[in-house]
Amino acid sequence: MLGKGEKRKFDEHEDGLEGKIVSPSDGPSKVSYTLQRQTIFNISLMKLYNHRPLTEPSLQKTVLINNMLRRIQEELKQEGSLRPVLAAAASPPPDSLSASYREAPAVLSAPAPPPPALASDLGSTTPLEACLTPASLLEDDNDAPFCTSPAAPPAAPARLPAPAPPPEKDSFSSALDEIEELCPTSTSPGAAAAAPDTSRGGSGAPSVPRPDDPKLMDSLPGNFEITTSTGFLTDLTLDDILFADIDTSMYDFDPCTSAAGTASKMAPVSADDLLKTLAPYSSQPVAPSQPFKMDLTELDHIMEVLVGS
Amino acid sequence: MRGFWNKVFNLEVVCCPCLLKADIISTVEFNHSGELLATGDKGGRVVIFQQEQENKIQSHSRGEYNVYSTFQSHEPEFDYLKSLEIEEKINKIRWLPQKNAAQFLLSTNDKTIKLWKISERDKRPEGYNLKEEDGRYRDPTTVTTLRVPVFRPMDLMVEASPRRIFANAHTYHINSISINSDYETYLSADDLRINLWHLEITDRSFNIVDIKPANMEELTEVITAAEFHPNSCNTFVYSSSKGTIRLCDMRASALCDRHSKLFEEPEDPSNRSFFSEIISSISDVKFSHSGRYMMTRDYLSVKIWDLNMENRPVETYQVHEYLRSKLCSLYENDCIFDKFECCWNGSDSVVMTGSYNNFFRMFDRNTKRDITLEASRENNKPRTVLKPRKVCASGKRKKDEISVDSLDFNKKILHTAWHPKENIIAVATTNNLYIFQDKVN
Repeated sequence: MLGKGEKRKFDEHEDGLEGKIVSPSDGPSKVSYTLQRQTIFNISLMKLYNHRPLTEPSLQKTVLINNMLRRIQEELKQEGSLRPVLAAAASPPPDSLSASYREAPAVLSAPAPPPPALASDLGSTTPLEACLTPASLLEDDNDAPFCTSPAAPPAAPARLPAPAPPPEKDSFSSALDEIEELCPTSTSPGAAAAAPDTSRGGSGAPSVPRPDDPKLMDSLPGNFEITTSTGFLTDLTLDDILFADIDTSMYDFDPCTSAAGTASKMAPVSADDLLKTLAPYSSQPVAPSQPFKMDLTELDHIMEVLVGS
Repeated sequence: MRGFWNKVFNLEVVCCPCLLKADIISTVEFNHSGELLATGDKGGRVVIFQQEQENKIQSHSRGEYNVYSTFQSHEPEFDYLKSLEIEEKINKIRWLPQKNAAQFLLSTNDKTIKLWKISERDKRPEGYNLKEEDGRYRDPTTVTTLRVPVFRPMDLMVEASPRRIFANAHTYHINSISINSDYETYLSADDLRINLWHLEITDRSFNIVDIKPANMEELTEVITAAEFHPNSCNTFVYSSSKGTIRLCDMRASALCDRHSKLFEEPEDPSNRSFFSEIISSISDVKFSHSGRYMMTRDYLSVKIWDLNMENRPVETYQVHEYLRSKLCSLYENDCIFDKFECCWNGSDSVVMTGSYNNFFRMFDRNTKRDITLEASRENNKPRTVLKPRKVCASGKRKKDEISVDSLDFNKKILHTAWHPKENIIAVATTNNLYIFQDKVN
């Protein structure tokens, strides 16, 4: 970044992203505005939760970052009230969402303090109260700076297991538990077991394909649209917003080669870095280009086991 | 402004070239006569420089500053309740006006303020009757004659001793201390509260401003700096992270939560961005010597306010406007939170503040001219005349200009000080102190 004092080529388009606010109503620049907003949102969260100093963090800095987050959330909320689907455009990078589909041990071993708050706050419009959790950092009596706010929605555990997961759970039942938490309406384990079936079997069509056909899985687009169209998940209001029609333009956006990238020369670097730096939260190294393919492989495994048993 | 600035000498606070955390300069302050210059560093040390007096006779220089005293002001502490370290870094030093032979200054870290007495000893008594020269007591039976001890000159020894320790009054980090014009009281400000102390009393302080909300989750604004008016002992100002300055009168009520005046400039809608609030946060506020104006420093600019006009500043100077298009990166690498200080010259005609790449800027209020200079080791031998610098924001870079992208954001000048009477300035880079003076001939 700038601190290294490296020379860079002058780019006229640079100013388009940084600094000046781009009105959300502008057509072509709306994407860059949303992109910038999302970038800043993620950076702000990382600043609040990634920092573990030996001394007390600066209250002024915390307050300013907090205000930034609140402002962005307000905007998202307002946009969310107009267009609930697009509000999810500000959804978090694939890593944290896909965390619930990863092998549970990997998730269980994720460091406890930062991820719960991070995951629960990332991007989702509904749990705004959870996003206010950072304010509790300001309380000088608070000796659990990363505890989630009591208003944290039930969906929060969906990102990660419950705060104190029993370590001896085996990976598949944990995965099932997570999926169960996604769907508070389903109570029977059978329904929960059926859930991964249908969710993984979804191919963008309402009908459920044969679950024991791995080839279908491979041919599916590598993103969360697998889950969106299944009947299983449509009951859920929260996850409607989370999973429905996610605007993945940010993640399909290849910073190195995209022709449209010139409009935001600065952002691709940071967005790219963001994806890499957020990988630790999912406790599995993720190359930004292939987070979704890994999900499919794991879904495969889970599928086979479920079908096998 | 009378021409270029002549570098007289280069003082180094640390001799070794590597960047030692303990030796990062964190505050710089001249005393009231300008004869002494105090620096505080991140390791809790205070180093005081004294201007040579002999060279005043010679016309071409005003005397160099040499180390006068060094002492450890604050030590690191540990807050056992929160399991956090309390940094020993000196946040601010303020001198008291000299009343007798000794000098007094206040130094503060995040939590504790100390009053230090710096005194000289250049004579010592010799010829005691009961003691030997090395201090051992003589056998009284050997004393056969009496003599009067006399004072003989000795090598100058400068001693610093802590006279008062003002502790346990701040929950949050102290950012400012300011001595009242009555020279009996002073204020200390942290993020949410301002306390009033009497210099003689350490076990009691009065809270005069408290902006802590009942519910901390509603906190959106903190205090960033505070200062007493130079002449009115009942008036002080404090600035906030939202770009406002409040002037308070202590005669109005015991708790000055309601301001007498609120200084705030409305936001320029054409410059709005995600970072508008952060860059409006005021990092320093300083009254002019006359007391009629005050100066504030926010991330990109310096503003001069007339105390009689609250709705906008009377002058605004852009320090590094070319950074406006880089705010996202500066937010990412935390540079946007850097707290730059600012200072007036003795006659209130020129103001100075620091920037990145070891640049510092001076603005002449009368001629409206400004200059950018660099404090760097490469081309700074004594008597070198500093060359003005220019940053090229965009477009074709001219010769000798520096492009924005090649600025070093790790080299920042946060602390500067101006001699109260003469055109001598002290500029602190990360771990070096530079002293420049105006070219006389």
